Amino acid sequence: MRDRALELVVEAGKTMLENGGEVFRAQDTMEIMARSLGVEGFHVYVLTNGIFASAESAAGESSAVRHIPRVRIHLGRVEAVNALSRRLAAGQTDLPGAEAALAEARALPEYGPRMAWLAGAVGSACFGYLFGGAAPEIVTAFFAGLAEMLLLRLFARGGVSKVFTDIAGAAVCTALCLAAAPLWGAGYRAPRAIIGALMVLTPGVSLTMAIRDLINADYLSGTIRLFDALLVAGCLACGVALTYIAANTLLGVPL
Amino acid sequence: MMQPFSLPGCVWQFGAAIVATICFAVAFQTPRRHFLSCGLTGAVGWIVYVLGTAAGLSAPVATLVAALPLTGFARFFAIAHKAPITLFLLCGIFPLVPGAGIYYTAYYLLLNEEQLFAAKGVETLKTAVALALGIAIVCSIPLPRTVSRHQYRGPKQTR
Repeated sequence: MRDRALELVVEAGKTMLENGGEVFRAQDTMEIMARSLGVEGFHVYVLTNGIFASAESAAGESSAVRHIPRVRIHLGRVEAVNALSRRLAAGQTDLPGAEAALAEARALPEYGPRMAWLAGAVGSACFGYLFGGAAPEIVTAFFAGLAEMLLLRLFARGGVSKVFTDIAGAAVCTALCLAAAPLWGAGYRAPRAIIGALMVLTPGVSLTMAIRDLINADYLSGTIRLFDALLVAGCLACGVALTYIAANTLLGVPL
Repeated sequence: MMQPFSLPGCVWQFGAAIVATICFAVAFQTPRRHFLSCGLTGAVGWIVYVLGTAAGLSAPVATLVAALPLTGFARFFAIAHKAPITLFLLCGIFPLVPGAGIYYTAYYLLLNEEQLFAAKGVETLKTAVALALGIAIVCSIPLPRTVSRHQYRGPKQTR
C-alpha cells in the first residue's frame, strides 16, 4: 500500500517534469501529494532531469529514482497533475482514484499536426510584424514558419538529434527568407522575416527557467537548463551563419 | 528593430501579440479554455515593452518593466482559473524573449564584428536576466493565504 503511494507520487512528479513543469513545482506537488496520502518520512530531491525519493513504512524503507531525459512541453498535463494534487489535498479522491486520474492526465491528447503547422506559421508571421516587418516580410515569415514546422515534424519522426534539428530548422528558415528576396524586390528586409520565423525555435523557455532556477538558488537545475538554452541558441546561430555563408559563396548574396 | 511607434500601431501590435502568444499556447499544448488568458498575458507584456522603449528605456530595462504586469496578469489568471502559473507565464513571456538578440549576436559573429557581437551578446543575456528578475519579483510578493493553502496541511480521509 505504502509503496503504491510512493510510486504514484513519484510518477506524478515525473509527469510534471517531462511536460515542462518547473523543478520547484514538481517538488511542492510531490510533497503535498505524499502528505495527503499519508506517506511517512517522505524525502525527495528533484533536478531538471531526475527525481530521487524515499519513504518509510512498516515493511521498511523504500526508494524511487526516475530519469527524465527529454522534455516535451505539454502544459495541459502539468495542469491536470496540479489539479490532481489539489483534489488529493482536499480529500476528494483516494489512491486508486488518483492513479486513474494520473493515467488520464498522461494520456491527454496533443493538438493535431495541422493545428501545430498553422500555429507555427501564424506565430512566425505575427513576430515578423512585431519585429518591424511589413507585408513582404510577414508573408515570407509565414511560409518560413510553415516549412520549419514541417521539418521539425519530419525530423522528430526520423529520430534526428536535437542539435541537428535546430541547426537545420534555422538554416531552412534563413534560406527561404533569403530566397524570397528577388520576389519582393527592393524594400524587402530579410532579417525581419528571419527573426520572425526564428522566434518559434528560440530557447526562450529554457533561458527564462534557467534564470528562475538560479534565482531560487537551485544552481544545478539552473545550470542544466542554461546549458540547454546556450546550446540551442548556438545551434540557431550556426544554422543562420552557415546559410548566409553558403548563399554568399555560391550565389553572391551580400552578407 | 521594431515598428515605428504610433497609437493605432499599438492596437495592431496588441492584436498581433495576442495571436502570437496563442500560437505558442498551441505549441505548448495549453488547453483551449486558457488561450485568451495566455494571449492577454503576452500582449500586455509586449505593449508595456513597446511603450517603455518609446519612452527611451533600453531593451533590458524595458523588458524588466514589462515583465512586472505580465507576471501580475499570469498570477491573476492562475488564481482565477486555479491553474499553475506556468501555463500563462511560459506562453506569455515569448514576445519578450530576446530572439532578435540571438539572431544579431550570430549575425555579427559571422561578419567578424567582434565589438558589436560582444555588445549584442551581453544585451541578450541582460534581457534574459531582466525577464527572469521581473518574474521573480512579482512571484515572490506574498498573497493573503487562502483556504486551499491550509487544506494542504494534512490528509483528510473521506468527505
